[in-house]
Amino acid sequence: MAATNVVSARRPPRSSSRAKRRSRTFYLFITPWLLGLIFLTLIPFIFGFVISLTNYDGINLPTVKFVGLDNYIRAFSDQYVSFSIGRTLVWTAFNLPIWLGLSFLLALILNQDVKGRDFFRTLYYLPSVVPAVAAVTVWKILLDKNNGFLNGVISLFQPGTAVGWLTTYALQGMTAIAVWSGLGGGMVIFLAGLQNIPDELVEAAKIDGAGSWQIFQYITLPLMTPIIFFQLIMGLIGSFQQLVYPLLLATVTGQYVSVPPRSIYLYMIHTYQQIFANQRYGYGTALLWLLTIGVTALTLIVFWSQKFWVYSGDIPETEGSS
Amino acid sequence: MNRRAKDLFIKRLNRAGSYAILIVVAVLVVTPIIWLLLSSLKQDSDYMAWPIHFLPINWQWINYERVFTLTPFVKIALRTAVLGISCSIIVAITSAMGGYAFARFQDVNGNSRLFRVIIVLLIVPGIVFMIPQFIVYSYVHLIPNTYWPWILGALVGSPLFIFLYRQFFLGFPKELEEAAELDGCNPFQIFWLIILPNAKPVIATVLIFAFNGIWSDYLQPTLFLNDQMQLLGAKMATAFVDPHGNALRTVSLAATVIYILPLVIVFFFGQKYILKGLVTSGLKG
Repeated sequence: MAATNVVSARRPPRSSSRAKRRSRTFYLFITPWLLGLIFLTLIPFIFGFVISLTNYDGINLPTVKFVGLDNYIRAFSDQYVSFSIGRTLVWTAFNLPIWLGLSFLLALILNQDVKGRDFFRTLYYLPSVVPAVAAVTVWKILLDKNNGFLNGVISLFQPGTAVGWLTTYALQGMTAIAVWSGLGGGMVIFLAGLQNIPDELVEAAKIDGAGSWQIFQYITLPLMTPIIFFQLIMGLIGSFQQLVYPLLLATVTGQYVSVPPRSIYLYMIHTYQQIFANQRYGYGTALLWLLTIGVTALTLIVFWSQKFWVYSGDIPETEGSS
Repeated sequence: MNRRAKDLFIKRLNRAGSYAILIVVAVLVVTPIIWLLLSSLKQDSDYMAWPIHFLPINWQWINYERVFTLTPFVKIALRTAVLGISCSIIVAITSAMGGYAFARFQDVNGNSRLFRVIIVLLIVPGIVFMIPQFIVYSYVHLIPNTYWPWILGALVGSPLFIFLYRQFFLGFPKELEEAAELDGCNPFQIFWLIILPNAKPVIATVLIFAFNGIWSDYLQPTLFLNDQMQLLGAKMATAFVDPHGNALRTVSLAATVIYILPLVIVFFFGQKYILKGLVTSGLKG
């Protein structure tokens, strides 16, 4: 809480007591958050790291042994780790492009002068307010193998259809749920971005004879890249940490033990199983740390890739836009 | 002239295509919800039938009554609502303090560095912290039969809400505060008497987000609470049962409808706050 050099250099000396007072007020105001940062974020995080170096099982503290990096080394020979990473990558490759593409497309359409704009926007956003647990219930009865709506409709044309949309094709089914739930949120953010593009720019291009595809290619898309970039990062992180959907789609369930179909045995599920089903706290927290490292690395790569495709200038100033 | 006709044709085609996409997506979005409503009005035998019955044979409006008479839904819903409302109010105040400090005390050393921490925390999703917290809370016995994890979480404020408040306060005129300061108000009086009463839109956004978060949450209650204390979000994952242990399938679907309903109502009334909050947190770049 030292008085700041920067501030006292900029201000006349007699106001340094004011600077001190302001500094005190600032830290008083953020005290709750700082305490939370220390006790509810940093300490559990460090504690989690320490545990990842032990064989802690959640119960027997006296027998805890320090095992060094064993848990981390073990992860590399655990065939379920590589399997679940593979599933996570496939899930991300499925979910992310569909979600991004569809929500961008809808935003593009709704940014035009179409009838019922507000109606459609509200409608598409509606599933986003449905909690994950209810969304899964909704889709379970829709996609159920034996008496679900989808198989029922298909059976009208091809009697006796019993496709396991949430078992055999669990990955596809889960993608449908995630896209249904995420569509509205993605669309709203893209729409806000589109509305920031000055009309004058588009008008000027039209006067110069640009077609709608050219306007999209040379104006809309480049100016939207920062938002696509942001959505990509959040989507990547979200996909890699996905736990709730597979957990809720598990076929064998207990309070802590849930086994989802193989195709959606994601990395977080494996981690969850280690901690809550097998009481391997040490190993589980090690897996969690590896995930954090992996996701951070991936995020940094996307950040680095920014310079190749993300428009970094300001949105051009035009008269009339503030 | 020919070119203009061609342009017009393309424009019309574009338009038709746009509406086609809008309508197809609308149908895909709505079908699951309609199917839920229809299913919630069936008898269990009707619901399990194959080939499926698209419409209920007997419209079982009584299923909605049974949610109240046959299941503990109301008790658990009340418990969840009380916790959700109290925690939302607490977090709305503590986060406002943080947001105000970050917005108005930018000359203070450490402000921008700490704010960068907030941004990082916004990107790191909850689950990464939830498991270590689970271990610590279990160790100090705040799990599985207390609501302290929720209350503590609210007391320390939330990075997302601090961020929303900060963005709001940045655009808030300084004159009022300066006048109050000249009149001899201390910073806490300024915050309480001037800032908070003028921050109603962002407070509404935060209250809605915070309440929805607790009401909708499945993972944290599942991990942090035992069955006696359980919240609605976790309870809704499995069907309610009758005293013999048989699943009340369609009654549970009716319960799901009632579970979603408050969120839909809040959405319709608070739409502009929700969308504004979403956009502010989405366009931070």
